[in-house]
Amino acid sequence: VLTHITYGHFLVLAAVLFAIGAIGVMVRRNALIVMMAIELMLNAANMTVLVFARMHGDMGGHSFAFVVIAVAAAEAAVGLAIVVAVYRARGHADIDRLGALKH
Amino acid sequence: MMARIDQVLARAGQVLARAGKARLAPAWVLTLAISLLLVAVGSWAPGNLAHAQVAPGDQGDHAGHDHPEQAGDAPAAPEGQAGAAAPEGHGAATPEGQAGAAAPGARIDATLTDSSPGAALFFWLFALMVVGGSVFVITRRNLISAVMGMVGTFFAIAAVFTMLYAHFLSAIQVLVYAGAIMVLFVFVIMIMNKPEDHPWGRVGTFGNIAAVALVLYLLVRMGTVLWNVPVEPRMVRPPSRVAITSGIECPPPEQPVPLELERHCPDFGTTKAIGDSLFHEYLFPFEAVSLVLLIAVIGALAVARPHEKSPAAPTASTPSPNA
Repeated sequence: VLTHITYGHFLVLAAVLFAIGAIGVMVRRNALIVMMAIELMLNAANMTVLVFARMHGDMGGHSFAFVVIAVAAAEAAVGLAIVVAVYRARGHADIDRLGALKH
Repeated sequence: MMARIDQVLARAGQVLARAGKARLAPAWVLTLAISLLLVAVGSWAPGNLAHAQVAPGDQGDHAGHDHPEQAGDAPAAPEGQAGAAAPEGHGAATPEGQAGAAAPGARIDATLTDSSPGAALFFWLFALMVVGGSVFVITRRNLISAVMGMVGTFFAIAAVFTMLYAHFLSAIQVLVYAGAIMVLFVFVIMIMNKPEDHPWGRVGTFGNIAAVALVLYLLVRMGTVLWNVPVEPRMVRPPSRVAITSGIECPPPEQPVPLELERHCPDFGTTKAIGDSLFHEYLFPFEAVSLVLLIAVIGALAVARPHEKSPAAPTASTPSPNA
């Protein structure tokens, strides 16, 4: 297992990365850290796509990962704009205290 | 007030450090635990990818046999064999015995490059960097150090992409993520220049532990499923014209590939191949992404624009101009 790297190793690595990102999203309170954890999860998904592209010898996975990277950039831009707007309005970016839509 | 998880992890670190006489930071304890879990999942999951079977005589591997005309077209029998053997896990004793009796060297290795110790060493190095960097990111209180850890993690992910023969996407990863998106994060952190006093969620110790346990369960299930992905021999193609270990003499990239070598020397992962794929097969998604980026720029400007009452904020338009 240690010296014989297979596709499974890469896939499990992507799963670990996704899990760490999910932990970050659930456990942290700062909106910026949560967004960074979301970026980690997107990267894990990208890694999985690339492993399968490599496995099948199909370049379509690379195109898919390319599109995912572009959409992640758009998501980061809009999300950070929302964080900035919330911070201006509230003075903090603590997602546990942003429950105004709950009531 | 440090978090409860942090305290628990620090206590675990002290317990661990009693043997090693060294104080372990909580992040490193978590990194170590997750890495060990990675190894454990890898070693215990049955029917892993390295044992996909191939019939004797079929040259599905790229490990240096000299019949390139046979290399890609696996016959139907070993395909069915491998497809049937992989989901059964370790119960696949009979095909292993058959293959071992017929030809000892006939099992293919579904490895990415080869099974050399160097590739394994670099894989584990980059995997440790990815896991450690991401754990570093989600455990920091200082946002700037979290961003710096994120940049390191993205470099390691780019290295992993390179190991997957995705050279172009590796460069894009460094340019877009480590270059553009992280700069955006730094901008926003500089705007909201305020330390957080309660970094962890207020769901309590039980909630945090339950969240971590559920995610670890998710990780184990996901890792097991992904590890057990059946690999048929015909899926294992020679990687690219950067074919270091394929054993097939591919022409250099500036020369055209002869027709009989075309399926063995694909331009996998190169910019040319990505361009072919993007502009022929996936032209509409490509154009749609450009529209999405335009909408995102306009939306980010509209959302982050300061209102009339707030004082003039010169940093209002920072989240827009990326990508």
